[in-house]
Amino acid sequence: MDFSIINRTLPILLKGSLMTIELTVFTIVLGSILGISVGLLKLSKNKVIYFISSLYTWMFRGTPLLLQLFFFYYGLPNLGLNLSPMNAAILGLSLNCGAYMAEIVRGGILSIDKGQFEAAKALGFNYIQTMLKIILPQTYRRLIPPIGNQFISMLKDTSLVSSIAMVELMRSAQQMYATTFKPIEIFFVTGCIYLLMTTVFTAFFSVLEKRLSIYE
Amino acid sequence: MNLIEVKNANKKYNNSVVLNDINIDVKKGEVLVIIGPSGSGKSTFLRCINNLESLDCGDVYINGEKVNFKNNNSKSVTNVGMVFQNFNLFPHMTALQNVMAAPVIVKKEKKEEVKERAINLLEKVGLKDKINCYPSKLSGGQKQRVAIARALAMNPDIILFDEPTSALDPELVGEVLNVIKELAKEGMTMIVVTHEMGFAREIADRVIFMEDGKILEEDIPEIIFSRPKHLRIKQFLQKVI
Ligand SMILES: Nc1ncnc2c1ncn2[C@@H]1O[C@H](COP(=O)(O)OP(=O)(O)OP(=O)(O)O)[C@@H](O)[C@H]1O
Ligand SMILES: [Mg+2]
Repeated sequence: MDFSIINRTLPILLKGSLMTIELTVFTIVLGSILGISVGLLKLSKNKVIYFISSLYTWMFRGTPLLLQLFFFYYGLPNLGLNLSPMNAAILGLSLNCGAYMAEIVRGGILSIDKGQFEAAKALGFNYIQTMLKIILPQTYRRLIPPIGNQFISMLKDTSLVSSIAMVELMRSAQQMYATTFKPIEIFFVTGCIYLLMTTVFTAFFSVLEKRLSIYE
Repeated sequence: MNLIEVKNANKKYNNSVVLNDINIDVKKGEVLVIIGPSGSGKSTFLRCINNLESLDCGDVYINGEKVNFKNNNSKSVTNVGMVFQNFNLFPHMTALQNVMAAPVIVKKEKKEEVKERAINLLEKVGLKDKINCYPSKLSGGQKQRVAIARALAMNPDIILFDEPTSALDPELVGEVLNVIKELAKEGMTMIVVTHEMGFAREIADRVIFMEDGKILEEDIPEIIFSRPKHLRIKQFLQKVI
């Protein structure tokens, strides 16, 4: 291994990973908001709402993320909507993440005992109060493991946006390889950076899980 | 005036009649006990009073105000408390938080005031030393007493009990029944579904025997338990006692 190559390329790779982190954070925040909303909508008794929200999760879980990204970046301009690579990336990643999150949230709510809804209703809680104060807080701990998995695969999936001109960690690695022709060093270091990020994530989620199990 | 009036309550679940033209009045301070075989519609009836289920036809009036509507999501009835067979405590909240939740969240009362009241209620049901415990750390009897305190915290006009001791180990039944008896003495209006016949006889002002969604007989406890008009009730009582 050529350590001088690592020394020279590391700053650029680290800069790329900052973008990876930024994309991940955006995606997680937007995807979670979207996922919780759609997860609740999918439980609606209203057939139209149910249909539309199911159509969304069906499409975004049933097609490749790469295709979705291409559609937003290369396709939308043909419809008169130009998105910057960053915006196309965040849009595609968030919509995709939201679809998976929606299924996780929906499953979590369905796993809560019906008696909890009844007790809340008998005490006068309305739907929103019931969801926010009684039901969702009980799903958090159960949802932490699947959500953690989802976020970790999200982080890795951000590498796909390298194909729509976003310079993040994966793209930086490709660029460094193209200038140095040292695939072993470059991709090894890149792998280490991804591993570092996913490990931090995993550790964070297991701490969170412990924190949230106080009442069990 | 009657605190609760139920008029011609009817309900079906896929073609099987569960409530068949039920009429009931409950006066303020009265304790009405409902007994009857499994599947006779006792729970369904209670759940229709506080809108957990909707009636197919018929009306429920509380303090003269109609409370039941076709769409049973439309309104929650906050002056009717309910205690469930399975407690249904909120597992992510301590005993104190369980009791405080509805007044704070639903009625938007001040936290400090509710807290004081909640502590008093928990003390009243004998759980002063458990206020900061999560439900998972409580016995069944303790859970049910928290659930009673939780219902009381909303200052309901009436409390509905649906087999409050059926899920309890025998040695824990007494502590819950004692709390309910205490409430009866204080003049709380209650409708109690129970299989504890001794307890029913002790606290009831009036007893209703339900069968197949109908009221078979309604009378004071002395009559129902000692010389009911219907042979069917005698047989039922022989089996459960
Ligand atoms: N959600 C439901 N869907 C269909 N049928 C139901 C439903 N809930 C209750 N039933 C039926 O209605 C009838 C009355 O049930 P209910 O729970 O009111 O009886 P119960 O008198 O409370 O019986 P138990 O003593 O066993 O609690 C039963 O035959 C039951 O199978
Ligand atoms: Mg029942």
